[in-house]
Formats: sequence, C-alpha cells, structure tokens
Amino acid sequence: MLAESLPLPVCSHCGIEFPTSDLVSAKMDGRELSFCCHGCHGAYLIIHGAGLDSYYRRPDRQAATVGDPTGSHFDPEYLNQFVVRAGDSSHINLIVDGIRCASCIWLIEKALQQRPGIQSARVNFGTHRLLIEFSDSSISAAEICEYLARLGYHCRPYSPDELQKSADRERRDLMFRFGTAVFLSMQLMGFSIALYAGYFQGINPQTRQLLQVLAALVTTPVILYSGFPFIRGAWFSLRNRQPNMDLLIALGSVSAYSYSLYALFNDLEVYFDTAAMIITLILAGRLFESGARRKASAGIDRLLKLVPSRASRLTGGEWISVDSQQLQPGDIIQIHAGESLPTDGIIRSGEAEIDEAAATGESIPVLRRAGDNIISGTLNLSGRLEIEVTAAAADSFIARVAGLVEQAQARKAPLQRLADRVATLFIPLVLLLAIATFFYWGGGKTGLLHAITVLVVACPCALGLATPTAVMVATGRAAELGILYRGGDILEAAADLKTIAFDKTGTLTTGRPEVISCHPADCSEIKLLEALATAEAGSHHPLAKGILSYARQRSIAYQQPRQVKTIPGRGLLAETEQGNLIAGSRLFLESQGLTLPEPSGDHSASEVHIAQDERYLGYLRLADQTRPEAKELIEALHKRRIRTLLLTGDLESVAKALTEKLGIESYTAGLSPKEKADILENLTDHRSMMVGDGINDAPALAAAGIGCSLAGSMDIAVENADLLLTRANLSNLLQALNLSKRSMRIIRQNLCWAFSYNLLALPLAASGQLAPVYGAAAMAFSSVCVVANSLRLKRVKLNDA
Amino acid sequence: MLKSILLLIFLSFCIGTGVWLFFIYAVKKGEFDDIEGAKYRMLDDDDDDNEKAP
Repeated sequence: MLAESLPLPVCSHCGIEFPTSDLVSAKMDGRELSFCCHGCHGAYLIIHGAGLDSYYRRPDRQAATVGDPTGSHFDPEYLNQFVVRAGDSSHINLIVDGIRCASCIWLIEKALQQRPGIQSARVNFGTHRLLIEFSDSSISAAEICEYLARLGYHCRPYSPDELQKSADRERRDLMFRFGTAVFLSMQLMGFSIALYAGYFQGINPQTRQLLQVLAALVTTPVILYSGFPFIRGAWFSLRNRQPNMDLLIALGSVSAYSYSLYALFNDLEVYFDTAAMIITLILAGRLFESGARRKASAGIDRLLKLVPSRASRLTGGEWISVDSQQLQPGDIIQIHAGESLPTDGIIRSGEAEIDEAAATGESIPVLRRAGDNIISGTLNLSGRLEIEVTAAAADSFIARVAGLVEQAQARKAPLQRLADRVATLFIPLVLLLAIATFFYWGGGKTGLLHAITVLVVACPCALGLATPTAVMVATGRAAELGILYRGGDILEAAADLKTIAFDKTGTLTTGRPEVISCHPADCSEIKLLEALATAEAGSHHPLAKGILSYARQRSIAYQQPRQVKTIPGRGLLAETEQGNLIAGSRLFLESQGLTLPEPSGDHSASEVHIAQDERYLGYLRLADQTRPEAKELIEALHKRRIRTLLLTGDLESVAKALTEKLGIESYTAGLSPKEKADILENLTDHRSMMVGDGINDAPALAAAGIGCSLAGSMDIAVENADLLLTRANLSNLLQALNLSKRSMRIIRQNLCWAFSYNLLALPLAASGQLAPVYGAAAMAFSSVCVVANSLRLKRVKLNDA
Repeated sequence: MLKSILLLIFLSFCIGTGVWLFFIYAVKKGEFDDIEGAKYRMLDDDDDDNEKAP
C-alpha cells in the first residue's frame, strides 16, 4: 500500500516547496497556480496585475520574499515626518528590507512606477535606499509602504544623520578635486608633449615660451585646488613632526612646481607635468578607498533594519501599534509568528520556536517559553508570544552589536602602508641632501637650482605607482577567483598573518544538519527512513530538511501525511496512511508514554526518534557537517606557522570535538559577540584574521586585523569583511593568502627598483651632473618597468600550499 | 603658424572645459552615488511595454 512519493507543490511566487495542507490555489488565464500562503498569492496578483510577469523569468532572480497579506500597518503621522514637500511633488527616503538580487530592485521600481501618483522610484544598489517622488494628493507615504509590504518588502523611513551627510560631502568634494585634476592634466599633457618634442627637435623660442606659460596656467589649480588635501596633510605632519606619505607627495609636487615656475622665468626646461601627475594618480587611489568605506557604514544601517520599526504594545487593555523606539522596560508587547523582535525581553506567556540565527549563528531554532529571555532581531517561527520588554530599543542586543561594530571600525588604526613607512625614512634623508646640496654649492642661485633638482629627482613617481598598480592587478585577478579585497592594505596585511580565528557554524561547517547515522530499533533502515520522511514531509525545520534530503538521496518513497500537529521544539504527531507517527526528541517520545533504549551519552549530534502506532522504530542522528576542505586548509595554515583558533558561541563539547577533528590549535566556547571581539582585540600580535558569517561575528570581524566572510553570510558580516570569498569554499582563503604573498613580493621588487633609480639619480643631481630632463626621461622608463612587473601577477600560480 | 596653434589650443581647451562641466553636473546630480546599479539596469530590456500590448 506504499504510495509513490508525491512531489511537494512548489509555490508560484516564492518558489519554495511546501506541505500540501497549506495550499492556496488560484486559477488565472486558464492556468492552475499554487501558492504556499495568502501573502504569496497577494504578491503574485500585484505583479501579474502590473504586467510585470517577466519578473518570474529573470535569470538572476533568487527566491522571492513572502508577501504580507495584510500589508502591515504603517502610521501615517510617523511617516509624514519624513516626507519632504516641494511644490506638487513630495519625496521620501526609505530603507528597504528583503532585497536579495537585482530582480528585486527591478520589481520594486517597476511596480511602484506603475502606481498612479508616483513619479519616480529609484533604489540604490549599494545601500538599498529607495527614493520615491510622488504627488501627495493622490497617494500617501503609508499607502506606498503598505503596497511594498504586500509585495514582500518591508521598509522604514530613513533620514541621513550628520555623520553620513559629512561623509557624502567629503566624497563629493574628492570627486570634484579628482575630476578637475584629470581635466587639467589632459590639457597639460598636450603642452608637455610639444615641449619635450621641442627639446629634442628644436622649437621656436616664442612658441616654447607660450607653451610653458599655458602649462603653468593649467598646473596651478591642480596644485592649489586638487592638491590642497595633500598640502594640508603635509602641514599637519610637519607640525606633528611625523613624516608621512602626504608630506612626500606635497614635497614632490610642490618642489617640481616651484622649480618649474623658477625655470619659466629663467628660460630653462619646465616639469609641470610631473607635479600634476603625482596629484592626479594619488587622488584616484583615494577615491577607490572612500567607496569601500562607504559600503561599511551602509552595513550598520542594514543591521539596525533587522529590528521592526513598529511594535504592538498593551496599553490600557488594548493592543496598540507604537514606534519601537518608544518601548520602555516593563512594557508588554505581543509578537505573532513570522515577526521578529523589536527589542530584548522576557516571555510572559506563550511558547514558540525562535530562530536565533541573528544572535547566535545557530541555524536550528530553539524552543522558548514563559520566563525565557529573548533577544532582539530573532525571529518568532511559531505561536504568539507576550513579552515584557527589558531594554529600550536603543539598548537592545542589535543596537549594542551595531555600536560595537561602529566602535571597532573607528578604533581600527589604518594599516600603515609600506610606502608610508618608506616615507618616514626617505623624507628626512632627501631633505638633508637638498639642504647639503644648497650649502655645498655655496648657497645662492646655483645652490637653489641644484637643491630643487634633488627634490624633483627624488619625487616618488615610480614609488607612487609601485603599490597601486600591483594592488590593482592583484585585486582584479582575485575577483576572477571569487575573492574580493576591500583595499590594498588588506592585500598587504593578508600576506603576513600570525593568527586566524574561525567561527564554527556556517564557516567551518556547512550550517545545514545532515544525517550521519541510522539506528533502527527492530525494523529495517528503509522502514525507519520511510516513516520519518513521511512524518517530516513538508516541515520547514532544518532537521526535517536534512532528513528529507537524505531520504531523497537514498531514493526512499514517502507520502504526505494527512494531518500534522507540530509541538514546537519537541516534535510532531502525524496521521498518515501508515498509521499514527510520533517523531521528535527523546524527551518528547518518552512523554508520549514510549520506552526508549538507554541514551548513548554522546551529545555531538541531534537525535530524531520515531514511533509508529506505539511501536518504537529507532532514530537518526544528524549533525552539522564540517566543510570538506576545512581540514586541508587548517593543515596548510599550520605549515605556514599560522596559529588557528576556534571561537564559537556553541557548547564546549561541540567545540572540542570539532577542534580535535580538524586539528585546530585551541578553542574558546560559549562566547558572546563582544567576547569574540575582545579575544581578537587582546591578541598580543595584531596580525590576525577572523573568518565568520553571522551577525554575532560582526564585531569580531571589525576588531580583527582582517575580517573575512564567506558567500551566504549575513549582510552585516559581509559589509564588515575586509576579505570576501564569493564562493562558499574555504580553499579560496588559501588562494587569497597566496596571492597576497605574491603581490607583496612584486611590490617589494617594484619599490626596490624605484629606489635604486632614486639612489642613483640623487647623487648625480646633488653633484650638479644631471640635467633634469634626463632625470624625467629615466623616471618615465622606471615607471614603465614597475607597471610591467605588476602585470606579472596576472599569471602567477596560486594553488601550491 | 603660431596663430593656428593658438586656435587649436583654444579649441581643445573649450572641448575639455565642456567635458569638465559635464562631469561637475553629473556629480552634482548624483550620477556617481550608485555606481553598482548601472551594470544591472543595463540588462533590463525595456520590452515590458511590448509584453503588455496584445
């Protein structure tokens, strides 16, 4: 009487499999459609009604978010504070939750634009901010938010704070300076090429004079406007007596510039191009950096967004929706299934399974009941809860984590660049030499001329290129392999690591429980699996998914249960054609009056037991499997004398077992996010890396020398990662370390080369033997060599251990 | 000779200034605020209107 395995229906909107009992079917254009809930049905109707069906055919679409049938309720008064009115049209900034792929953005924009009253809607891909222009008379902000919620995207109003505004201004300012420098440098190049050609082939003195004057005119704003940040930095560094890269740049460009001005009036060769090029190239580098920093701050925004902005509070015997910022300790709020917690609290009544992945990184939901503490940002999966608030939203767990991350980001001293270190040694040397030259030539005009030549020749052109070109080629190569470095300093730091700390769940393990062994009592393994798969068919519990995927692997046929009753955190009772099934934990089955064999005492895996019509069938053991490449990676790291650590919020016994299995040197278990960060902060050697994927790892990622995240991590972990592996494969980490090592070798070669050139040219210049134009030619040649050397990174082998 | 050089220099300066002003305008308009998006939007064909038409 075994039925064939019935394929589970797949939701036409969100694309997930769901139990038949939840089916919502609808007929549309003669096609039968099935949905897993009314929310998805509603979202489909909106999309279909707007003529946007092509959303479902987009190749880059990932599973859609589940629509909210009620559309949630937004407080119009609260929203109206954020609406900016200007004449007929108003606009509002929203932060949108639930965006996973480019298709989501496409859908949001198209769907909104088709609503009457909305003039434009545009989502920023980097920050998930949505700017809507609408006419206030025909649609309200609250209606827009409800419409989005029905589509499955929750949003909250957003107004940029002062810090963000100033960061945006700074970036814009940098862009103006850079754009101006590029424009003027291009003009300058034309004049310079003509002047160089004139030097070698002869030129009409009048034309030469004209070109020189024009060159001076276009260079002046580059030095004084575009180069102003460097001149200011150089001034500060002089005042603090700490030579830095700014000083070297300012010195090189200003001395080249002033020498050229001097030359202009004394009928000598000018080098305005040298001065302008230094500034233009280095501004380009700064611009890239600021982009990376902007991403990091957007991450904190999105973390705070995990917390719902509204909460339902008990006020005078009634449930009233309030802004979650207004919640105070002692308030009673209610949380329905599917909602996440606005702040920390204690459960007063009700019990439910809570997905605490946000807080602990654990993928398996835990049962929480009256009296238990419950953390903000976690998700209520089943049942209604009444919760007594214990912390105002501003002091909640999520807010504290965001605070920690912000602190760590600010505290993390910018890694001293190799060139910066070089500058500290090099600058005093050059200055001394220039002064010595001046006095050696008896001061006066000749002395000044030779002294300035020394400064021009010392100008760090090749030196300036040595690092950025290598970094550019290396990061390009890395991107092909699925490795993203957040900046050149990360590439540098990754080459010289002493300690790597790993998170457990989702990093060293896959984060999905898998069946590791079958223990049938007095029946066949097949029979046991059949019964369990039938009972668990259609459950979304991670353990059930593990069991079902194992059953499919073994091609076990299973049916849909007729009726299922789930007891959160314990198990389920299923009525099937094979009889009544009871599946769940040992305690659950015992509480149902069954006698089970003695427990094995091994707690490293979860057990799922099953009984059919009062007859005990046996159990399966499931565990979160380690990634297959993890052991190899740890061995390779040890071979390089890198210390390995395991930092986890999980139990001591689990951490110990994993540590032994993979050969990790030491472990610390039961850690809170702050403790994780503290451990990394307190390492004696700061050349450290943290590899993690959860919100609870975010502070540690920011505190470590390098934070590394894998694909599929939580947003905040990704944003705080300096190094991101876009393929969830740990062996990429080894490639990243190899590439860093190679890049650093190339950079050292480049610097070596640039220096030998400087060392050779400096004495010649000091002794007055070098005509500056030959110096400039040698400089160009040396730059070409540096670029060519950097290009070698495109082809180095990276797979050797 | 010098005259034509001057003319050409002036011409290139004008073109350059035009590009520069365009850049300044683009920054002010916020074209560089979302540099990620362009690569995705490019792939969106505007054939939705055709689909709606019978």
